[in-house]
Amino acid sequence: MNSMIKVARYHLAQPAMLLWVPWAPVAGTFAFSAIRQGAVSSGGLVILFVMFFVAGWQRAGRWLPLGLALGATRRSFYAGTALLGVSIALVDGLVIAGLQSVERATGGWGLSITFFRVPEMLNGPWYDTWLTSFVGLSALFAYGMWFGIVNRRWGVLGLIAFIAAQFLAGLVYALTGRPGNLTGLGALGLTGVAAALTVVFLAGGHATIRRAAV
Amino acid sequence: MTPAIAVTGLTRRYPGHVALDDLRLTVGAGTITGLLGRNGAGKTTLLRILAGQEFPSSGSVRVFGSPPAENGSVLRRLVLVREDQEYPDSQGYPSFKASHALRAASFSYPNWDADLASSLLADFGLRAKQTVRSLSRGQRSALGITIGLAARADVTLFDEPYAGLDAVARRIFYDRLLEDFTLNPRTVLLSTHLIDEAAGLFDQVVMLDRGRVVLNAAADELRGMVTTVSGPALAVHAFTEGRPVWERRELGSQASAVMVGRVSGDNRERARSLGLDLAPLSLQQLMDHASAGPGAAGPLMMRNSA
Repeated sequence: MNSMIKVARYHLAQPAMLLWVPWAPVAGTFAFSAIRQGAVSSGGLVILFVMFFVAGWQRAGRWLPLGLALGATRRSFYAGTALLGVSIALVDGLVIAGLQSVERATGGWGLSITFFRVPEMLNGPWYDTWLTSFVGLSALFAYGMWFGIVNRRWGVLGLIAFIAAQFLAGLVYALTGRPGNLTGLGALGLTGVAAALTVVFLAGGHATIRRAAV
Repeated sequence: MTPAIAVTGLTRRYPGHVALDDLRLTVGAGTITGLLGRNGAGKTTLLRILAGQEFPSSGSVRVFGSPPAENGSVLRRLVLVREDQEYPDSQGYPSFKASHALRAASFSYPNWDADLASSLLADFGLRAKQTVRSLSRGQRSALGITIGLAARADVTLFDEPYAGLDAVARRIFYDRLLEDFTLNPRTVLLSTHLIDEAAGLFDQVVMLDRGRVVLNAAADELRGMVTTVSGPALAVHAFTEGRPVWERRELGSQASAVMVGRVSGDNRERARSLGLDLAPLSLQQLMDHASAGPGAAGPLMMRNSA
């Protein structure tokens, strides 16, 4: 545990890209929505999830060489990075839930904006929003980590093969006609699927980093 | 006593290339060892394996008696400073500063000396607020050296740490390394091409060639172990007769020979009377001979490579 905390602290030596920067485009999109006084969801919150994917990729791939040079093992680096990502997802999920509550209480910030309420997904009680946001952000961070490690270990060609393999798997899944099962799951059901995927992503990333050389 | 580093039968193969070939090596604790060899000799691969950054194809590696790969108890006592150290300063992190790297290192090493780090930065003229991306090659090297020394890790591995540093900065590195090593002894393995410049630091010298150890001896033992004898050809022949000689050259009536073995006081007198010049080989010249091909440094290699 101590070594995981050290890795988390290593990442927090430069916290901006993890803590503040992901919120900057969200704030910008929110400001744009406010100016437009739009009554529909702008989808700007999606940017935060994309930023988590990018952060996971960068932290696992780019920060690995220095981490290993400073005495971390791959195992502790991976676990510490994942721990930090999940912890930030937990807090950011709470922030989303809080902002959603404020948005609901103020009638969309007094402008009828539905920025932090996403129909079907993030529109329930605060704890549902918190859970769904937390799991979604964690899943994308873990997914990004796996991409970063694949890139580190096998380079661009490996990355292309990795994406192609997933594309094929998705195609097979779509051709079996199962996607319809997902649409009927609802927000909590999809949260459960995202949680299961998080476990798969974390296991895949861990298996990939075990023999990664720097 | 357990050696700091013990390597036996270490082999690392890459497709179409063998970087390390059945390498055997022991490094005593509390010494500064020079790791020498030409490009591609296997120095960096060896250091990466010692630091757990690369995996061996076969063989055994022990640091303080335990394998380093994925071993936190070993790795937290070890730091590797690489010439090509990658920092998280890509496009995503253009604001990654020297201070971030130093702060990260301070979390990792219990013996981290912040004062030493600050004074090294000052000596190298490096500002902590500078982004790593904006550093010159030499400044990046200075940052690596600062981390390597201030970490005060029990095993400190330097892989060509001063690429791009000017002569003054390199002198600072040598002086500060020696000064800090005297106060806080630890095991230092320093890979370098600037052999004669760094020779004064070494307790032990290890030379690699084509992934094998071709020379492993105490630095004091090496100094004066090989001598160039030059003068009249007949006198050179007479003086070197019966002694192992690596190389002979003749030009007209003059000759020179690279002779293995210490020269006693009596023999020095004899050389003088024969009109011969005696000049000890430098470490750089020794390495040139040791890596000139199989058997080039025969007698010395056999004496020391066991």
